[in-house]
Order: sequence, then C-alpha cells, then structure tokens
Amino acid sequence: MAKPLIEVDHVDMIFPLSNGKSYTALKDIHLEIKEGEFVTLLGHSGCGKSTLLNIVAGFLEPSVGGVVMSGRQVTEPAPDRMVVFQNYSLLPWKTVFGNVALAVNAVFPKISKAERRERIQQALENVHLWEARHKYPMQLSGGMKQRVAIARALAITPKVLLLDEPFGALDALTRGSLQEELMEVCQEIGMTCLMVTHDVDEALLLSDRVVMLTNGPSSRIGQILKVPFPRPRSRHEVVNHPTYYSLRQQIVDFLHQQKRRSAPVVLTPTAMTTSITIGYVPLTDSAPLVAAKELGLFAEFGLEQVELSREHSWGDLVEGMTTGRLQAAQMLAPLPIALSAGLLEKNPESTIRVPMVLSRNGIGITFGKQLTDQGVTNFAELKEYITRTGDRPVFGVVHQASMHNLLLRYELAKASIDPDRSVELVTAPPSQMAYHLKTGHISGFCVGQPWNSYAVREGMGAIVSTSLDMWDGHPEKTLAVNTTWALNHPEQEIALVKALISACEYCDTIRKRGELVEMLSPYLNLDPELLQSGLTQPLNDEKNYHRLHQFYVGQSYCPVPSEGVWMLTQLARWELTPFPQNWWEIADRTFQLEVFAQAARELELPDTVPDRRSFSLSDGIIFDADDPLSYLEQFLIRRAIDFRSVVLA
Amino acid sequence: MTNILTKKNKPAGAFVQWLMKSKAVRKVGLGLMGVVAFLLLWQMLSSTGVLKLPAPDKVVTDTKELILNPFYTGEGNDVGLGWKIFASLRRVAVGFSIAAIVGVSLGMMIGASPLLYDAFDPILQVLRPVPPLAWLPLSLAAIKDNESAAMFVIFITSIWPIVLNTIVGVQQIPNDYRNVARVLHLSKLDYFLHILVPATIPYVFTGLRIGIGLSWLAIVAAEMLIGGVGIGFFIWDGWNSSLISEIIIGIVYVGVVGLILDRLVALAGRLLTKGAENG
Repeated sequence: MAKPLIEVDHVDMIFPLSNGKSYTALKDIHLEIKEGEFVTLLGHSGCGKSTLLNIVAGFLEPSVGGVVMSGRQVTEPAPDRMVVFQNYSLLPWKTVFGNVALAVNAVFPKISKAERRERIQQALENVHLWEARHKYPMQLSGGMKQRVAIARALAITPKVLLLDEPFGALDALTRGSLQEELMEVCQEIGMTCLMVTHDVDEALLLSDRVVMLTNGPSSRIGQILKVPFPRPRSRHEVVNHPTYYSLRQQIVDFLHQQKRRSAPVVLTPTAMTTSITIGYVPLTDSAPLVAAKELGLFAEFGLEQVELSREHSWGDLVEGMTTGRLQAAQMLAPLPIALSAGLLEKNPESTIRVPMVLSRNGIGITFGKQLTDQGVTNFAELKEYITRTGDRPVFGVVHQASMHNLLLRYELAKASIDPDRSVELVTAPPSQMAYHLKTGHISGFCVGQPWNSYAVREGMGAIVSTSLDMWDGHPEKTLAVNTTWALNHPEQEIALVKALISACEYCDTIRKRGELVEMLSPYLNLDPELLQSGLTQPLNDEKNYHRLHQFYVGQSYCPVPSEGVWMLTQLARWELTPFPQNWWEIADRTFQLEVFAQAARELELPDTVPDRRSFSLSDGIIFDADDPLSYLEQFLIRRAIDFRSVVLA
Repeated sequence: MTNILTKKNKPAGAFVQWLMKSKAVRKVGLGLMGVVAFLLLWQMLSSTGVLKLPAPDKVVTDTKELILNPFYTGEGNDVGLGWKIFASLRRVAVGFSIAAIVGVSLGMMIGASPLLYDAFDPILQVLRPVPPLAWLPLSLAAIKDNESAAMFVIFITSIWPIVLNTIVGVQQIPNDYRNVARVLHLSKLDYFLHILVPATIPYVFTGLRIGIGLSWLAIVAAEMLIGGVGIGFFIWDGWNSSLISEIIIGIVYVGVVGLILDRLVALAGRLLTKGAENG
C-alpha cells in the first residue's frame, strides 16, 4: 500500500480554560489520507472537526501527537495545504483577479508574468468567473465569493485542499451547484481534499471516505464509512445508487446515537455528583423508583448518587419535601397542586413541581368484615345500611390530598352518602390501615396496593372497588421535585425524569413483572407473594388486572395539567382548599410540561401531552378543564366553594 | 413656503414639487433659507440695538476692500486675507503632514506589537487630552522660533488621534486575513502592502480627519499668541483695532476653510478605500 500523503498521528487537542481547568476537544485521533482521496469529517457542531482541520492546516498545534505530510511534520500553515474558509476570507479591497493574483504571486515568485496570468485565468475559468474578474468581493453573491476562494486555492496547485464547511453559509440551491462544481474540478486534477461538513448528503456526494467524529468533549473517530460510488460521479448517479440510502442511514444513525449519548456527557461533573434523596412511601406503585435504582438507570443517565428514603407516612414525606430534606419524592398526585392551592395553613418554604406521572391506577376500596358481614358489599348497600341503622361508619384514607380521599368521597357522594356527615373519614399511613381495620377502628378504607389484597388475604374484608371501576387511568403517584433544587440542577432534573420514564417502561413490561415483584419485596419489607396481586395476578377476578397498575403504556408517564384541574375541583368541593381563580395557571405551573417534554425528546419519545382536557369518571358526568366551575356546580353533595385568587410564589 | 408648494393648481407648483422631491435640491434650498433667516435675525437685532455688534450689511461695507482684494500685497504684515489664510494653511500643512507620517508609522508599529502597545498606551492616554495651546509655551521655550513653534503645536495636537486610530485599525484586522497571509506565506512587505495597509486605511483616515480639524482649531489660537501673518492674528488684530467687522469676516473665513479641509480629507479617504467597504 502506498504511503499516505497525510498522516494524523494520534492527536489530542487540549485547550486550557480561563478557570484553570482544561477542555479536551480531541482525543486520540488517528487518520491517514491517501493521495487523490476525498475525505470528509462529519459530526455534530462542537465535536472538534474544525479543530482537527485547523491542526492539519497548521493553524493549531496539537497537544499530543502530530501531523505528517509527505514525510515532514506540519508545524505551520503552508500553501501546499491551502484552506478554503467558511467565510471565504477574500480581501475586500482587491478584485476577483487581484485576490487570486495575490496567492499566485506569493507562491510562484519566480515564474514569468505571462505564466502567472495564465494560471490565474485558468483558475477563474474553472469556476466560471473569468468574466467577473474586475469585480470586488462586495459585488458578488455568497456562492460567487466561495468560487473565488476555491479558484484562489486551486490556482496555487496545493497538494491538499482543506475545506472548512465551505458551503455552510450558502442557500441550498447554490450549495448544490457548488458541490458539483467542486467535485468536477477536484476529479479532473485528482486533488486530495479534507473537508469539514455536517451535511450528510454533501459528504456522500463528494467523499471517498466519511470520517464520523463522536460528540465532544474528547471527540474520537467513531466510525469511518467508505463511499463506494464510482468516479467520475454525478449527483444523479450517486442518489440513485442502490446503496445510497443504506449508507445515508448509517451516517444518520451514527449522528442520532451521538445526540443521545451527548446529553449526560455535556453535564459538568460537579453538578452531577451531588447526591439526590428521593422519598417514597412503601407501596406496590413505588415500582418505578425501585426499578430505576435496582436496574442502575439513575447511574445510566448520569445521576451517580441517588438515595431512596423510605417514609413512614405521607405527612412525613410532605414535611421532607417542604423543608428541603428530600430533593424529590414519589408523591400522591393531588398533593403538589393542593399545596400550590393552599392546602397548608402556613405556606411551605419551598414549592414543588411535577415533571412526570410515576403511576396511574393501583388503588382500591375495601370494606371491613363488620360491613361485609352485614351484607354491605357496595355503596348502594352502604347507603341503605346507613339509613337503616343510623350508623356513621369510619373510613380510612391515606392523606387528605390523595386520590384515595378524592375518589372515595366521589364514590360516596355518587351513592348519595355525604362523606363528611353520613360517614367519618380519618387519615392513617397505608401500612397501618390493615391494623386499624382489624382492630375495628375503621370499617373500610381506600388505599393503594398491596394493602387491599393484604386485608383480603387476612380475611379482614373484601375489595369493593378498584381504580379500574372508578376512573381507569387516573393519575396516582407523581414525581415531585423541589422547585428550588430543580432550578439549580436543571440537567439533573431532566436526567431524573429520563431515568424514571425508562424505569416506567420496564415496570409496564408484563413479562418482567415477576422480576419486578422480587425487586420490590425488600424495599417494601413485604413478602413477594403479597405483591403478586395487581402485578401478576388479579385482585379479585378482573380480566384486565395487568392494567391495575399503569406505568408506561399509553403515555401514562405524561403530566396532564387538566387532570390537575379536576383535582382542584374535588379539593374545593370538600373545602380542603379554596378553588383558585387562576386554576389553569396553578395546574400549568405545578405540572412541568417543559421539563417533561425535554426529557421525552432526549429519549426520542413523543413530547406532546395526550389530549385529556375533557373526560368523565364512572358516573359519566363530563369534566371540561376549560369550565371547571359548571362541573363543580352540578354536584348535589358538596361544601361551599371558596373561590379566590391564589398567589403563586 | 410649503403652503404654496402644496397648491397644485399652479403649473409652476408641480415643478417646484418635483424639485422638492430631489433630496439635494431640498437640502441646499433649506440650507440657504436657514442662512438667510439667520442673517435677517442678526440684522434685526443689530439695527434695533439689542445686539452691540455691526449688522451684516455693515460688516460687508466695512470689509469690502478685504473681500474684493484677497491677494493684495502691502508692506510687512499688510497683506490680503487670502495670503493670511495661505500663511496659516502652510503652517498647518507642514505640522499636519509630519504628524500624519509620524503618527501612521507609530500607530502601525504599536498596533502590530502587543509589547509596544502595552508600553506606549499609558503615555498616549495621558498626552491625548492635553489642550493644543498648553503645548505652546513649552514649544516656544524649546524651539525659540515662533514659526516652528506654531508648527510644532499643530504637529503635537493632531498626532494623537492619528496614532490612536491607526492602532485600532491594525488591531482590528480580521483573523481571516491574517490566516490567508499565513497559508500563502506572504512576505513581510507583501503583508504590509496588500493586507495591513488596505485593512487599516479607513481607520487611518478617521484619525486624519479628526487631526486636521484639531490642527485648524489650534493654528488660529496659536497665531493669536505668536503674531505675524495669519488668519488667527488677523482676528486678534481686529479686536486690538476695534474693527469688529474684520473679526466677523475672519471667523467666517476660518469656518469655511475648516469645512473645506475636513471634506478634502474625507474625500481622499473615500477614494483610497474604494471597494474596501463591506468586504
């Protein structure tokens, strides 16, 4: 094999930064270019391809390694490595002729005047600009200027032509014709060329080899693609070549892959090493957090230190979030928006925002033995039982601002049972619920899995309703992040969302559910058998039991502000919070669509939110997020609505 | 006047309107109107005695001789106004030419070398704001010749803007042009002639324009102090002889000549930088 004309020998390029650190632009670049070869450097912007070209040109000295051309090391720029700059770099005070003449006169001082003129004329005729030789650059279009620059370069017959995105500043039409012109001229004289571009088609048309660089920092040569089209080429032949599209696809795939890879890499190491503590209350639907931790997804997206903190109750978790002890948490879906609407008397120190939904469904209502023994197995029978006995049964919910509370109340009211007057609702941590049921403190509860199944297994009662019956697909747990923390760690927030969306995908893979159960068991401190129901087995006898927990399918992970507005109506209906006049602003601010969309894009998932502005629950009453007040007003059982403007922090 | 112009019923009105559309005609026309209005106001203020200065008509009658015989030659300092202006212009020409040559050369050297720039910048910054006349006593003491001292004042006044602008011009040469020179291995002389000078010329001429304006300001003031033939001393002499009309005509001549000088340098700059704009 012939010796290469140019050898880029294991080059590193390290730039010192003003803060005393350094930036490694290129790492271990080794490239050989044969005589007459057309090589293209391709990569995303900032991958260091122009830096590499400048090293070959001699403008930059590599930190490690070197460039050898024809057996001699490159130490400075020289006319045998003529450069065509992206911005043309013509001298504005010289005519077209004058610009080319300056180069010719400088490089060939010894040849006769007539010979020089001959050269200049030849070069300008090659690019069809001889007629315009008396014009000044300012009188020329961008395309013509670049043709002058090419003529200037070719007039001095360099050994290699270095082109730095030569057509980047031109419109598509001019670019196309100039590419062909360059190809013709180079083919004719067998010019060796090294070109930088980010245009895939340009690279395929012109090159013998496409050298693809990985994204920086520390860009390397990722892949070298040989372009087998015969020469002389024409655009028509190239585009119609049977392998054209597969080659093109290879390049595009490479570039895509780099884009995906680049996101965690661009993060500054210091920002990523700060630890994140995520709070959770042990329940079946803690699955995405546990899976992300166990599968190493946090680390995969660049979050090195993520701790999961098990919280005893939702109250503890809210305290952790509002005091800043937790940076993020798995939170009851209505909780963040309830806090924004003024759930707590005292405004919390830090606000909370929701960049994604962790799970949908997964809750159930269980009636205890004292009811079922009386034959009470649904809400109609409960109503009848209350009317008959005058009893005021006590029901447990996990938190005031929980879907459990809102849905239990909704179901009670639907059956004409006033949830505040005809029954009593008390709050208890999920894990205590079964105990309270057993001891008879409560007659039933609405709680997340596995506590309904637990009560059934222990013979304490029966499940009368699940999410699937009440509102199939209701948001249940969301990822809540501390807004202050999120604003200071934007990359980490996005990485967190990406890791958890990936975990959600895993959790919704039915054949992985067995594995998931094993994974969850130690985190919840419950035996795996109990966790089966709802994940791998039905609770009662539902056919679609695998939809009892929803994590990923149907864009389940999307935060949907209109669902937040529904929660606001229910919170206001029971006087838990005022109904904010600026309900849409509150919903929009709490559910962080931008962060979600950014994360979704980086995962190449759809970044749009499913249209759920209008929906209905089991009673068929239509909720319209644009008119929540009419929705509220049609409920017969409700408290007085405190309608006021809520100031956002 | 605009009222008349907007009346379209007169055939002449259309013509005047067409004239008004031409920007140059409009500019000159309005300019003349401004001058006439100014003279009328002055005439009015002077003839009513509000302004204790001769009215324009009196200025003209008083200085008729001077205006009509600019190149009259008498004994000693008794020469026509034209000669006096020439005498001043000659001093400016010598002082300014030397300043231009020295200033541009210095500017190019300092601009091209960061070392020299750092060394000279403090001196330039301190000397630049010194008013022209502050140099006069020093130059008289050093040179002991009125004529040369005046020229030195011109030189020292006009050199700063020339040096500073040339420095900026050299420093702003785009990296692209330097890269072209590096790739082509241009010789020092070629680089100077084909890149450094053309790239710097617009800046040099900005400096020269400021310099010539300052020179003309300085010469009038300097001549008042050193005496001899010259437009500056002519004005001072007018005051000493209580010939106020002569002062006024002197001021008019100083203004007109200053304007012409400025435009001449600008024109020269434009001719030399032809094609260099918007590279």
